Amino acid sequence: MSVPATARRKRTPDAREILCEARHISHDFTLPNGKPLRVLEDISVAVARDEVVALLGPSGSGKSTVLRILAGLIKPSQGEVLYKGQPLTGLNPGVAIVFQSFALYPWMTVRQNVQVVLEARGVQPAHAADRAERTIGRVGLGGFEDAYPRELSGGMKQRVGMARALVVDPEILFMDEPFSQVDALTAESLRAEVLDIWGAKERNPSSIVMVSHDIREVAFMANRIVVLGGNNPARVRTVVQNDLERPRDYQSPQCVALIDTLYSVITGSELPDVAPAAADREAGFIEPLPNVSPGEIVGLLEHLDTRGGKGDVFRIASQTNNEFGQVITLVKAAEMLNFVDTPKSAVLLEPEGRRFVKASPEQRKRIWREQLLKLSLFREVADVLRKQRGRPIDKDFVLETIVMRMPQEDYEKVFLTFIAWARFGELVSYDEAPGTISLYQRRRSNQVTPDAQSPGE
Amino acid sequence: MRRLLSEVFDRFGQARRIPWLDLVLVVGLAGLFLSFIDLGREWTGVHRQSITIDLSPAALPRYTMFSLFRGLLAYVLSLGFTIVYGYWAAKDRLAGRFLLPLLDILQSIPVLGFMPGLVLALVALFPHSNIGLEVAAVIMIFTGQAWNMTFSFVHSLRSIPADLREAATVYRFDWWRRLRNVELPFATMGLVWNSMMSMAGGWFFLMINESFQLGDRDFRLPGIGSYMSVAVEQGRVGAMLLAILAMITMIVVLDQVLWRPVVVWAQKFRVEEGGEQIVMTSWFLDWFRASRLVRALRGRFRDLRQRLAPPQVASAAPAAPELRAAVARNPRILSVVSLALLIGILVWGGVKLLHLLQQVPAGVWGVSITSAFITLGRVLLSTLIGTAWALPAGLAIGLSPRLSRIFQPIVQIAASFPAPMLFPLVIALLQWAGVTLGWGSILLMLLGTQWYILFNVIAGAMALPADLREAATSYRISGWRRFRTVYFPGVFPYLVTGWVTAAGGAWNASIVAEYVTFKGQTLRAHGLGAEISSAAAAANFPALAAAILVMALLVVAFNRTVWRWCYRVAEERFSLSR
Repeated sequence: MSVPATARRKRTPDAREILCEARHISHDFTLPNGKPLRVLEDISVAVARDEVVALLGPSGSGKSTVLRILAGLIKPSQGEVLYKGQPLTGLNPGVAIVFQSFALYPWMTVRQNVQVVLEARGVQPAHAADRAERTIGRVGLGGFEDAYPRELSGGMKQRVGMARALVVDPEILFMDEPFSQVDALTAESLRAEVLDIWGAKERNPSSIVMVSHDIREVAFMANRIVVLGGNNPARVRTVVQNDLERPRDYQSPQCVALIDTLYSVITGSELPDVAPAAADREAGFIEPLPNVSPGEIVGLLEHLDTRGGKGDVFRIASQTNNEFGQVITLVKAAEMLNFVDTPKSAVLLEPEGRRFVKASPEQRKRIWREQLLKLSLFREVADVLRKQRGRPIDKDFVLETIVMRMPQEDYEKVFLTFIAWARFGELVSYDEAPGTISLYQRRRSNQVTPDAQSPGE
Repeated sequence: MRRLLSEVFDRFGQARRIPWLDLVLVVGLAGLFLSFIDLGREWTGVHRQSITIDLSPAALPRYTMFSLFRGLLAYVLSLGFTIVYGYWAAKDRLAGRFLLPLLDILQSIPVLGFMPGLVLALVALFPHSNIGLEVAAVIMIFTGQAWNMTFSFVHSLRSIPADLREAATVYRFDWWRRLRNVELPFATMGLVWNSMMSMAGGWFFLMINESFQLGDRDFRLPGIGSYMSVAVEQGRVGAMLLAILAMITMIVVLDQVLWRPVVVWAQKFRVEEGGEQIVMTSWFLDWFRASRLVRALRGRFRDLRQRLAPPQVASAAPAAPELRAAVARNPRILSVVSLALLIGILVWGGVKLLHLLQQVPAGVWGVSITSAFITLGRVLLSTLIGTAWALPAGLAIGLSPRLSRIFQPIVQIAASFPAPMLFPLVIALLQWAGVTLGWGSILLMLLGTQWYILFNVIAGAMALPADLREAATSYRISGWRRFRTVYFPGVFPYLVTGWVTAAGGAWNASIVAEYVTFKGQTLRAHGLGAEISSAAAAANFPALAAAILVMALLVVAFNRTVWRWCYRVAEERFSLSR
């Protein structure tokens, strides 16, 4: 790995020229029922010349949407995007995108995939062929010009994606989780190569904007790290400046310290230590259900139990080979059910959680059900069902409750989570085709459980 | 001199086998070209009052060519319609909201009902040549081909993955480049399969059209259909068998020389990656690619294109850059104007229809409606009978790799074979057995439609995951229980598709199956198909319009309720992909 060009680069922070900028943008998606769902709230990001900006956050934090707004693919509901000081209308002229899923046209060869974007800009075919070939060489794919994408590995596909972006000579290169579908070692070498390409000062791209959920990756690559967080809407939690000397070393104390800082920023915002007060819960408040399955929660508890009841979000993520954003959601869910507690980024098994792990399958169902009934959504539905005296209620009733009380959530997802959790606790039965919910009844003849009739009382 | 000689020998040595392949290719192309000219002469020829068909075997290839060209011409028309209409419906959401239901209705209407009117109108338009009749035939085949292709195209356009679309936007593809480089390639696979189905369906209409007689007027066209019908009139069994043989040959040759190569070529456009792919091969395509002549021509063509390219600055523009730019500039206006035009035509047609319907006496409505339900009964009965044998047979074939290897191609040909060709033979059989047309027409309907059920069940059985079957075996689930728990639910979604196609075909077939001219006498069964045919024969247009309207309404209503419900059940309960 040789990055002389990068090392030579001298930046003068005060004379930064802003290339592209988002000012106070907010964005709403329209839910299937026509209601808007706010996904981004008041986000400002600026991209200066000669820098690598990373948008970091767990999945679902709207990073990719911010990138698409900057690229002009999506128009924000509020706020404006500037390119070189001018408000952006339509596509951002200085931008090319490398996609997470590569987005190569499978019916075109590597050469055609690269060449077609030049021809779309009106470059003469002969000239386009020449430029395409040189760019393919630049990303290290010489010799593969006439291969079809399906013949290439993930890493090579992403090289084609990079060649396609670089061939149009963009001022800013946008990369949307570029290495998340590439194996770890290949990703490592691609990161270094991207920095090499960026470091060649006399050529475009001048700047890079990348979206990532990988903390180590952004610590290695970015000059500035914009941490996004929160779910529907996402906000900018903080911006971390990263002035470490290049080429960077993951093992250097400064880099380790930076990674630690980013870790605590993210856990601090995603798992706040102060839980909402009990008083809040009474006044029509319904807890948003994190979209995780009961099996995953049980798995987390078992995992903690075998490790002395203690863990750390990031260690759990690497031990279970999960994305940390997902682990955070999982921990949130377990916390809602009082199974774990989360001081800072630590995860501790609570007595209730310990009891659950030790319990027999039958008892587990009962403990789960007891915890569910402490959540207002489950309690309300169970109350209504009990008043119905065995008659089922319509799915729409629950959907309606969710829409009314959690207007910021994707109600279909919340509903599916609700059903999964409630089924796991033997609280309700759900019949998909007519869409009806009824109180769970055991069919076993030898054992009539009074539980099922009056759960948790 | 010696060097020259050795060079010549070298060349021949290299090309020892290939030249005669090329020769066949050249002869084949020349034959096609000559047939085309022949057809042109036939088209513009003087209109005859009645057809003269040469029943000698030597004349049959020429008639086969005529039929083939009508089918291919209609297919080209269908493809053009598909791309224009499908693109419009998929791109303009507003227009799509009107265009797609319209397409759905067009698909449900038994178009055969319109044939008499169409033929009469076009013959009146070109009184002195055969063009009117020929155009009517092509349009009829078109109506049997276009709808499912268009649906497939719209579906493909709408399911292009978001990242491929975004990449096209970011890299500034204009609409033409998007269509050529993204949308058409993505839609190719679906379009090819639907084209094959459409072509098969088209022969049905072609046969009816070529042997069409209305009362005492003869509208037959020279082709396999009329060859067959004249052979039946004259009772020449040998000629009948020859016609059937010619039809089968045409279907098989078309499959080998056209569809198979196209399917193999289209594999390039598949999007899914990895997994085990059954790679199909085509001897004709290999042969075509190996041909020196073809390679030489392709090289020459490429040279020519490159020599012509430089003067065209910037974009590699197609033939009509002005049109391309114009469409890009005002897509909205174009769409709105076309939509207004289309709606205008439909409203005008609706008003005309209302005028016509005002003349219909109440009694005719009553007869139409009661006979509609009799025909509905026949349609359902034929579907039921088809299911009764095709479900077990299809399962047996589809579950056994050996049987499916043998039967799959046979079933394909059988499904492509136009049943109306066999009607005279079956009717003779029915008369001999003393069966009335009332019941016999069910058999006639079944003749064409049972294959759809069989075909789909085989496909479903082959798609049944091996692990489901293995599980059933390891838990000793066998016999009736195995059918009920594994096979029937597994193939149900395919079975529904088979039912819908079969029932649609049966409605169409009812028009020719319930009213038959056989050896100079007219046989009719009580039913809506017979009402349509007899009204057409008597040129009673108000009654014809009423009968068609009743049939269209019933078919659409049935599709919207019963079949839609079946589809929903299949999707929600029995889908294997969810």
